[in-house]
Amino acid sequence: MVGRASLTGVVRLSRRFPREFITRYGQFIPDFDSFLDAMCRPLKRTIRVNTIKATREEVCELLADAGLEPLPWCDIAFSVNNGAGLGRRLAHFLGLFYIQEAASMVPPLVLGPRPGERVLDIAAAPGSKTTQMAAMMENTGLLIANDPSPQRIRGLIGNIDRAGCLNVAVCRMGGVSLAKLIAGSCDRVLVDAPCSSEGTIRKSNEALARWSVRAIERFSRLQQGLICAGFQALRPGGMMVYSTCTVAPEENEGVVAHLLSRHPDAEVVEVELPGLVTRPALTEWSGTVFPEGVSRCRRILPQDNDTEAFFVALIKKRDERPPQGS
Amino acid sequence: MRDHLRVLESRFGIPAEVFEQFATRAEQETVFIGTREALQFDEVRPLRRGIRLLRIFPRSIKPTTWAMQLFGRYARRNLIDVTAEQAAELINGSQIRIDADVEDGFVLIRWQRYVVGVGLYHRPVLKSHIPRNRPVD
Repeated sequence: MVGRASLTGVVRLSRRFPREFITRYGQFIPDFDSFLDAMCRPLKRTIRVNTIKATREEVCELLADAGLEPLPWCDIAFSVNNGAGLGRRLAHFLGLFYIQEAASMVPPLVLGPRPGERVLDIAAAPGSKTTQMAAMMENTGLLIANDPSPQRIRGLIGNIDRAGCLNVAVCRMGGVSLAKLIAGSCDRVLVDAPCSSEGTIRKSNEALARWSVRAIERFSRLQQGLICAGFQALRPGGMMVYSTCTVAPEENEGVVAHLLSRHPDAEVVEVELPGLVTRPALTEWSGTVFPEGVSRCRRILPQDNDTEAFFVALIKKRDERPPQGS
Repeated sequence: MRDHLRVLESRFGIPAEVFEQFATRAEQETVFIGTREALQFDEVRPLRRGIRLLRIFPRSIKPTTWAMQLFGRYARRNLIDVTAEQAAELINGSQIRIDADVEDGFVLIRWQRYVVGVGLYHRPVLKSHIPRNRPVD
């Protein structure tokens, strides 16, 4: 994937990354030099209007000096040219907007929770996607926001308060235990899984500093448990999104393949989000050929939309019950 | 519970009907508000359902900042309008001196059309009761 002409550029950029990172991802990430180049550029701040409390017009007026530019694939989200002090603005305290990375808005948009539904966010903290979904549900129905970490849950509750989410019940449990107790009851489930966070390297070096293949394998096992738990919580006919902010196939395609191998009633559905450039998922990795449905998952690469890297899969639980009255 | 909502009506002019589409639930001295589905969710033991609406004290009731940011738009009385600078001072924990045509006691602090939070007014001092965990410039 690495062109000869761009080799010098790649070498220069790749010094920032572990050698194994370059070897692994140079194999399959398209336009790898553009990928590395984008990963080294600082990330633009982006915001989402909190429609529970404000309109798009109100936020545009209040942040008129911030240089807002609409994102082409989400009509209530903007990149911010002058983002200094954004989190210390009065409008932010009022919960009129939420500072959220652009790609992190994608999983809720793909899941599409609707008013009145019962939705589970199985790994919710710090709450950007929870508050986004609460707004998409027009502050109705039930959104179960779960996170097992006592430290992270404090931030989650703070964000729910500030965003004014009345439809959220916060739980602090292991995702697997929770899913058993509410099995088959949710219309939609978001499994935005804890991951090695390679996609966040543009924002901070933290993920790169602790990067290792062993960590990827460890996350993969956790994610396999969570995706199956999320699926267990779904009602027949319900929809689930599995997402991560990493590029490691073991944490993405490999996890979806794990679900498909254990649940014949799971079906990967095409993801559509007009205006957002996405790339197809891998069909094989490290000698393993993935089931056919895995190719319908999508990868979001940093060079395509000037975002973090992300992975998203939309999964349906087939309703195999006989139709009522038959 | 209705008595508490009537206090919000009598003190701030927030009509009790505003809360009708939601459910409330008292847990010790705190009343929570949320959708019926959220407040009745009991298949597990949630850490919290909905958001805090008010705190009950022996001789008074104090609405919360976060709930008033949502429902304060319906308030008609005991509102104090402040500038952005005054709002920032109050959010950051200071008290300000302001001459306002309101009764002493808990008031809602408003900037433009937005209720910022709750304060305690003893003419001419307005003391902030806004949570201080998110400083503002």
